[in-house]
Amino acid sequence: MMKHEVAALKKKSIGTSVLRREDTRLLTGRGRYIADLVLPGMLHAVALRSPFAHARILSVDVADAQALQGVEIVWCGPDVAELSQGIVSTMQVEGFQTTVQPVLANGIARFVGEMVAVVVASSRAIAEDAAQLIQVEYEELPAVTDVEAALAGEITANDTLSGNVVSRFSRAHDDLEPIFASSAGTVRGSFACGRVSACPIETRGAVAEYEWTTQQLVLWTATQMPGFVRTMISMFCSIPEHLIEVRVPDVGGGFGQKAHLHPEELLICLLSRELGLPVRWIEDRQENFLGATHAKQQRNEMALAYDEQGRFLALENHSITDGGAYNNLPWSQLVESHVGNAVILGVYKVPAVREESVAVATNKSPIGAYRGVGFTAGQIARETLIDRAARQLGLSPFEIRRRNVVKPEDFPFTNRLGQTHREGTYLQTIDLLEEMVNPKVFRQRQAEAWARGKYLGLGISVFNEVTGTGTRTMSFLGTPATTHDTATVRIDPTGKVTVTTSLASSGQGHETTLAQVAADALGVPVSDVVIQSGSTKHTYGFGAFASRGAVIGAGSIGRAASIVRERVKQLAGHLLEASSEDIVIEDGRVHVTGVPAKGMPFTEVVGAAYFAEAAHPPGFDAALEATAAYDPSDLILANGGHAAIVEIDAGTYAVKVTDFFAVEDCGTMINPMIVEGQIRGGIAQAIGQTLLEEVIYDDLGQLVTTTFMDYLIPTTLDVPDIQIRHLETPSPLVPGGVKGMGESAMISAPAAVVAAVNDALAHLGVVIETVPITPERIFRSIQERSVQ
Amino acid sequence: MQAHEEGQLMRVSAIINGKPRVFHVEPRMHLADALREVVGLTGTKVGCEQGVCGSCTILIDGAPMRSCLTLAVQAEGCSIETVESHSQGEKLNTLQDSFRRHHALQCGFCTAGMLATARSILAENPAPSRDEVREVMSGNLCRCTGYENVIDAITDPAVVEAARRGEV
Repeated sequence: MMKHEVAALKKKSIGTSVLRREDTRLLTGRGRYIADLVLPGMLHAVALRSPFAHARILSVDVADAQALQGVEIVWCGPDVAELSQGIVSTMQVEGFQTTVQPVLANGIARFVGEMVAVVVASSRAIAEDAAQLIQVEYEELPAVTDVEAALAGEITANDTLSGNVVSRFSRAHDDLEPIFASSAGTVRGSFACGRVSACPIETRGAVAEYEWTTQQLVLWTATQMPGFVRTMISMFCSIPEHLIEVRVPDVGGGFGQKAHLHPEELLICLLSRELGLPVRWIEDRQENFLGATHAKQQRNEMALAYDEQGRFLALENHSITDGGAYNNLPWSQLVESHVGNAVILGVYKVPAVREESVAVATNKSPIGAYRGVGFTAGQIARETLIDRAARQLGLSPFEIRRRNVVKPEDFPFTNRLGQTHREGTYLQTIDLLEEMVNPKVFRQRQAEAWARGKYLGLGISVFNEVTGTGTRTMSFLGTPATTHDTATVRIDPTGKVTVTTSLASSGQGHETTLAQVAADALGVPVSDVVIQSGSTKHTYGFGAFASRGAVIGAGSIGRAASIVRERVKQLAGHLLEASSEDIVIEDGRVHVTGVPAKGMPFTEVVGAAYFAEAAHPPGFDAALEATAAYDPSDLILANGGHAAIVEIDAGTYAVKVTDFFAVEDCGTMINPMIVEGQIRGGIAQAIGQTLLEEVIYDDLGQLVTTTFMDYLIPTTLDVPDIQIRHLETPSPLVPGGVKGMGESAMISAPAAVVAAVNDALAHLGVVIETVPITPERIFRSIQERSVQ
Repeated sequence: MQAHEEGQLMRVSAIINGKPRVFHVEPRMHLADALREVVGLTGTKVGCEQGVCGSCTILIDGAPMRSCLTLAVQAEGCSIETVESHSQGEKLNTLQDSFRRHHALQCGFCTAGMLATARSILAENPAPSRDEVREVMSGNLCRCTGYENVIDAITDPAVVEAARRGEV
């Protein structure tokens, strides 16, 4: 298909650490984020949220709220139900239960924090004043507060479903019993991850402006997926799609959280249409914890059988996700265990596999996508078990991995779960990581530190990662969907280049790196290219998620650029009396290959295309603006590894990450400086998930972590300096050989930390298989072991 | 002491980024909101409104303060510096430029607060050690960078030089 086409380009700007053009405005207070937007007559929306995990709403009295001066409107569930049924989330997966999340709870609330009513007023403070005047009578219902209760099934978390199992799925069910019974060694673990929040420093927000005289709606929203949001607003609010524009301002971090359709986005569109004025919704930190999605809460019962050489014989994994009350859109509850188990073998060759993934509904905020999604949990479990197997065999963690990875001579290799490895540096990653760590010296330090009451540990994690996520990857992950991503490239009359993309940045540097790609695709300086994004007026795409921006950007921009580049070459060939195939564009000159003297400035040829009809060859299409769709023809697997060293204080149980090493192979790096920033940021979040962060619901389903005082994200004192080395295995499926890597560290670095803690405590016979690994968990693990 | 009735605006006069300004606010509005919504300087960011994230950090009479935990009316008679004051003409100052060269920002949401705290460190000590910088910056949360590049930017030789001249 045309959309698989890989445009040719000559790397020049690609591969260099161009300083970011977005920085100047972001360093001077001139960035424009969603909360900075001001519109004439703008009103403010504030939600009243359920204080109960599961409760019938017997009555809502909004009279006093409505009467407060400054209040324009108060809505509760039935008011909105007339206008929108809510968010329908489905998956083409056998047995999957579709959910419909109402915009406002209507008759029943299914999690603490679910919106029950909304107030629109002249200021946010007044809207909050009014929200406190709303009287709601609830009848509490028993709540499903964990996966055990969900599976027991005595209580149904979401009464629109049949039971609590939203999905149960298995790709491989080999008979493993004889293998485990006869293998030289077996390691087993019961791994659990608590919920976390993506916790971007900028919370979610949106502003809607409906204009009745044109029937047009503009929705400004801090989203990673503007094209998607536009289509969904159209579908769920019954507004014709061509009359909707979604605009994306600067976004203060997304990490997956802003890659969902939020009920609030629908709500303010409906409110603006009702009131005929702009309506603004900017949530506070507490609402971000209460009403946005959480992530990573999976349990994995994993077992690994291996022979006396440490070669893996079989892997078993039973994975279960605490999915919350509804399916998020678009990822659904399959965003954790389901996609996680698809890649559970990772970089290793394992002949026999049995696995099952289950998603269950609970009375909590819906589980959602957060950097690394459901890949992290399995990576933590598997890598921890591999280290444990190595210790039992007296092998180094590097050596056992060398004996099991897909080796250079194995490529292409299709594993038991159907993933084909075509190119990558798995083995070289292990060697390089070992060289960086210098494990011999570390083991000495580790042994000496015990006397000082310090438990040192080294943890290793080797990963591969699906990137450039498109139709093929979605199908491989078992969540089939066709993706669509276009870019437009226009060569301007003066020879400058205007690129339009539907990729939305939330800090990862598209504005700079996509310009690097376009510049090389056309052979012009990067300073002559501008990237336009953040409006659905032109181009359509799914947006930025699943480490796809660089790949989808390179592919779509590459294709669009090649269309206009061919026209420039055609015209230049005519003027230079050469075949267009013999024309090259480089350094701003268009000339015959190998004969730079026989050439013209790029600007002159472009000028002729626009304004000199006499110069055009017969049948010439003078349009220097083209749009093209791109979708990779197969998986694009990046790879790498992480090693963490931790120090645990035997007296206080304090854990400190003292060293971090990363090897990354994302194919051709567009901008190494930005790649390293992505790795460092992901490692910080990994330290957060494994040692500090947990969104906690208590036994009653009450959310007890709604502030930064209870939910601790890493600071300058939690993240050490990080050593990074690069390998580059180009992808043949993407222009320039680019691969993705945005999520890499949040897939793999958490496993390195967990493995490091387990290595530190191994001499005590202690294992820890639950994150976050808090001082309390370490204390308990050591205590419980001494009691035995 | 002015008497105050609910809903009534109070007059505040303060020096903001070197200029005397007068603005009117309700007492219940914090300074971050006043700077953003009343004065119109949206460079100051709001990440938690509980004094933890540090995105709203500004300099009040030269000292870093949380503007979300300061009532706007408490700005009366103070000198306030926000991120909008740092650049010189249409050029980044040395510290801002160092942040750019070291890729010390991604989404940019924490940047204004980072710059405010960094400025206060450098005013006291033009050449702080990396450990000292990590210690003092520990009240500014960043979710994107992993912090190392921020430490690099603040300890850059050009920044040290500029700080010695009193120019950050």
